[in-house]
Amino acid sequence: MTTVRIFFEKQGEAAYVSLLDLQRVFHRALKRSGLPVWYTEGFNPHIYLAFCSPLPLGQESVCESCDVKTAAEPPYGAAWAAALQPCMPGGITVTGAAAAVHKAGEVAAARYAITLPAAAAPALAAYNAAGSVPAEKKTKRGARVVELKAAVPALSWQGRGDTLRLETTLPCASDGENLNPALLLGALQTLAGEAGAAFAPWQCRILRTALLLPDGTPFC
Amino acid sequence: MPELPQSLKQALSLVQKPGRYTGGEPGCICKDAAAVDVRMAFCFPDTYEIGMSFLGMKILYELLNAHENWWCERCFLPWVDMKAEMERLGIPLYALESKDPLTAFDIVGFSLEYELCYTNVLAMLRLAGIPLRAAERDGRWPLIIAGGPCVCNAEPMADFFDAMQLGEGEEMLQSICAAVEAAKKHGWSRERLLRELAAIPGVYVPAFYDVEYEADGRFKAIRPNRPGVPPKVTRAIVRDLDSIPPPRDFVVPMVGAVQDRACVEVLRGCVRGCRFCQAGQIYRPFRERSPAVISESARALCQNTGYDELSLSSLSTSDHSRLEEILDAVNAWAPGEHVSLSLPSLRVDNFSRSLVEKTTRVRKSGLTFAPEAGTQRLRDVINKNVTWEQLERTCRIAFSQGYTAVKLYFMMGLPTETLEDIKGIADTCQKVVDLYYSLDHAKGRGVQVTASVACFVPKPWTPFQFCAQDRREALREKQRYLLSCVRSRKVKVNYHDSATSVLEGVFAKGDRRLGRVIEAAFEAGACYDTWEEFFDYDRWLAAFAACGLDPDFYNYRPLGVEEPAPWDHLDAGVSRRYLAREYQKALRAEPSPPCNRQCSGCGADKLLGRPCF
Repeated sequence: MTTVRIFFEKQGEAAYVSLLDLQRVFHRALKRSGLPVWYTEGFNPHIYLAFCSPLPLGQESVCESCDVKTAAEPPYGAAWAAALQPCMPGGITVTGAAAAVHKAGEVAAARYAITLPAAAAPALAAYNAAGSVPAEKKTKRGARVVELKAAVPALSWQGRGDTLRLETTLPCASDGENLNPALLLGALQTLAGEAGAAFAPWQCRILRTALLLPDGTPFC
Repeated sequence: MPELPQSLKQALSLVQKPGRYTGGEPGCICKDAAAVDVRMAFCFPDTYEIGMSFLGMKILYELLNAHENWWCERCFLPWVDMKAEMERLGIPLYALESKDPLTAFDIVGFSLEYELCYTNVLAMLRLAGIPLRAAERDGRWPLIIAGGPCVCNAEPMADFFDAMQLGEGEEMLQSICAAVEAAKKHGWSRERLLRELAAIPGVYVPAFYDVEYEADGRFKAIRPNRPGVPPKVTRAIVRDLDSIPPPRDFVVPMVGAVQDRACVEVLRGCVRGCRFCQAGQIYRPFRERSPAVISESARALCQNTGYDELSLSSLSTSDHSRLEEILDAVNAWAPGEHVSLSLPSLRVDNFSRSLVEKTTRVRKSGLTFAPEAGTQRLRDVINKNVTWEQLERTCRIAFSQGYTAVKLYFMMGLPTETLEDIKGIADTCQKVVDLYYSLDHAKGRGVQVTASVACFVPKPWTPFQFCAQDRREALREKQRYLLSCVRSRKVKVNYHDSATSVLEGVFAKGDRRLGRVIEAAFEAGACYDTWEEFFDYDRWLAAFAACGLDPDFYNYRPLGVEEPAPWDHLDAGVSRRYLAREYQKALRAEPSPPCNRQCSGCGADKLLGRPCF
């Protein structure tokens, strides 16, 4: 049995598809595609599928992946992508499928491209100038404070018309340290408020561009 | 893929389950707005989760979009948080496919499934910036139409619609779209278009009829106010169901719909003639689809959508004369394609072991049956021809197949009902519990019997349309008494407050004057009335008072057998004579046989133009 990793983009209106809904979408798309995927053998057989580091609601990505199992021989690639695409909702583009090289647990970090309104510039400067930027992280076990500067000592950005674009890498380990870019954005909003130049989350776009292994090479 | 507008992104960032408002689901149809001749927004006046469960929309969506030059899109009532954000940010109500506002459409059509959704219709029009009343709209506004079972008494909502469809939409709605296409092509006035629509079988144009009332407020008559308008609008039906095969694809919701499975309608109408049931009367005559058509389209539907659960739906699926054939045909492919089968609306009087075996290959959860009344006498009154022996036999089969939960539907407030009948509900449940323990059962595995007790609402086009609705105080008393009769923790009783039923009863039998009340309540904030947390009975009473109308006049007063009714100009199929006859039999507790066994002469066969069987 081979684990096949299906890569896809999740952009635009698909940003509002939650993980639970995404599971249903893939379940149906796989079933409809007729691809030879493995069904669990329990009392109520269903397609085995697993998403690696799924994206929070409202964020976009060009590097999402869903693992399934199959007894079929490779190659999977373009044929699998073509079979799945017609059953996908708007905003989800299947970019490829290949035998998984790494284990999902090997992902250590994620790279993001974040677009902000130009008004956010003072907040970005304030972030770089600050000695400490704490953020409250809410988990199932309660809230705790994390130091953003430890993960991202400084931000660099480029202006593009009335927007700013910055790229950053944040920890994204499934069973270790993990930082949602929305936390960084929240901290920036607080700093913007203090600098008298507020902006709202909906003016920002968070696009995940890559999942990375501990040595910085792409997860695949 | 077009980028979402900033204001919409802002709203979506602030609301729960934003995926309900973005469209783009698998199976949704997008066309070039500039290249189509007719654009229709199919509006469901309730939330996405409820509307996306509605089969009628899926049927008509596929039929209309099969026309290359027509584009039918979907629109639902946004939930409270989204509605507030849309109002705050000035986002007009839009259709999910194109995100264009409803004002960009030629036709805005609402499905009226339930009386308590009436204020939701007004909320959707308001959110779209469309004037509520037909009289306030000229040809520059979209044509606002309605369909669905509530049109069988169209009057309470008649002020708001340009045209209303009585009956089945498959052919009628296509005729309406064709007329709108012609109107646009030839530059017809709105009046001219409405005249064309009034000539389509089943279409009712309220503005073409005037209503008269007696001095005491009773309804007197409704007559056409223009030449060439039919004095009676006869319900449109699809004579041969196989001529219009069921949908082969659905828009598959991503955010959990209530009914999220493949669904094929196997028959239309009902042979039973339960005297309380409006659907059982207004969907007559009984018509079946053939097993080959059902199985083949079900298979295509499952393949196209990826659904792994198939429901064979209808008012009474086990009444299909060739059900076993259908199940065998479906079971020939379903297991191999990982599709499981479920049958809603089973009846206790023809429930068989082979039926259970053929439908429960995957999951065993609960079974639901509807005895509707607690004693045989009352079941005879309502013509629910079900006996305790049948219920016992059915539960025996179910328990032996491993089921441990049974849900039983009952009503209270039925005509001729006494406390003896109420006690009968508790007794029936207890007898099911006792039956479970009298049989072999897994050690330590208990049984759960749930009685779901609804308040009976007399509906037009039923033999009980002549009855007054039970008063709220009386229903409360009966609810208390029922609870006092339940002695086991294995029996759970569910019921809800009767205030919504009161309003349902008023609108069900109401006249055109109620449009003012609906509008007044809406302007005072009424919306989402089906959701208990938003239903405010006092607000409604205030609206009635402000309009000088008494709600009790509509639902707490019996309707004379000869008395004119606000739905007399509509012909749903069954005759007033038949309804009166059935009502008299009810009072004598005399049942009528199902109509496939013996014809009761209801009159609906005239829609078919031949005998039903």
